[in-house]
Amino acid sequence: MTLEIPLKIFRYKAGDAAPHYDTFKVQVAETANLLDAIEVAWAEHDRTLTFRHACHHASCGSCAVRVNGVERLPCIAPVAQVWPGQGELLIEPLRNFPIISDLVVDVAGFFQRMLASGLVITRTAETTLPLNADAASGADVLKPQAVVVADGLSRYNRFEDCIECGICISACPTMAATDKFFGPAGLAAIYRARLESADKAQATRLLELVDGEHGVWRCHSANECTESCPQNVDPAGAIMALRRDLLAYRFKKLFG
Amino acid sequence: MATQVYRKSKLRRALIWGDVRKRRLGMLAYVLNRITGHGLVLYLYLHLVILSMLAGGPSSWDPFIALAKSPAFLVLDVILIAGWLIHGLNGLRVTLTGLGIGVRSQKAMFVGLMTIAVIGIAAMALAVFSKG
Repeated sequence: MTLEIPLKIFRYKAGDAAPHYDTFKVQVAETANLLDAIEVAWAEHDRTLTFRHACHHASCGSCAVRVNGVERLPCIAPVAQVWPGQGELLIEPLRNFPIISDLVVDVAGFFQRMLASGLVITRTAETTLPLNADAASGADVLKPQAVVVADGLSRYNRFEDCIECGICISACPTMAATDKFFGPAGLAAIYRARLESADKAQATRLLELVDGEHGVWRCHSANECTESCPQNVDPAGAIMALRRDLLAYRFKKLFG
Repeated sequence: MATQVYRKSKLRRALIWGDVRKRRLGMLAYVLNRITGHGLVLYLYLHLVILSMLAGGPSSWDPFIALAKSPAFLVLDVILIAGWLIHGLNGLRVTLTGLGIGVRSQKAMFVGLMTIAVIGIAAMALAVFSKG
């Protein structure tokens, strides 16, 4: 059985005075996922529609968008579940990122923060795109730090649960107010890197990296990052654990 | 050459904090804390202004006391008490989770503490209106 779904998609191209929305009526199988519907909109209605997609199974994180105001991975969102059966389905890019084109956002600043943890990231090409990453995101370019683990397999160490989708960044109210905040994903990666690291000095350096007004102390405990995460990263838990570690570290420094 | 990107204005982005549509309990708690916090700061300044009336002697202070006993003002008192209780009890939750304690049960903590707040507000409202 097929469904005819009206997709209302955010549109913006460089040079436009302002963004607008286009509605496409797409026909997809009842069992299709939302990404399939977006692809039909591109294939059959407007080939200028830009959006990211790769693995189609929630492994790469590249397709993340907002669906009716809620952050989701459209590759694993069945249309039958996300569309209530009537009315338009609103598709918008992630919040708190500069928008390059339509549903594609500038993730360079986000990936630069992830690199700072020293863990391997998969989308290395997107850390250095020739975009206004630094100006738009306000992020300082952080130097990647090598994480040495006991068995010497540092170059294979990836933050397994995190798929670098950016959904937590979009959901975070603090990221909305400031670009300088390290962000839930970056802080969770730092926490994981500290757990993996066999080098105590490295673990301390990572802790000091997030001790500041734009690090763990900027979080306002909305917990929306953990609630929105499509994997089991629990960035809010990681941030609070880092705070606890920081307090213990400062206490030790003060009283020896 | 840098690519042109689109961003909403800083003001519009900053106002996103108040958008609780389709957000969960933690976000609601955050917004509630922010609103009550702003309200309590405003109250603090108002309180100082009102106390400055004392410098004007009985002719300045007594009319205010008469106003303070009016039903409309008593409602404001109850709203103030609500702000204290909500902000204070939620603040307890934020303090504990900020120290890494009870992070996974932050939702249950919020529900429990706000239940206490509601009971407290009801009890205080009763006390305020029965004496007033």
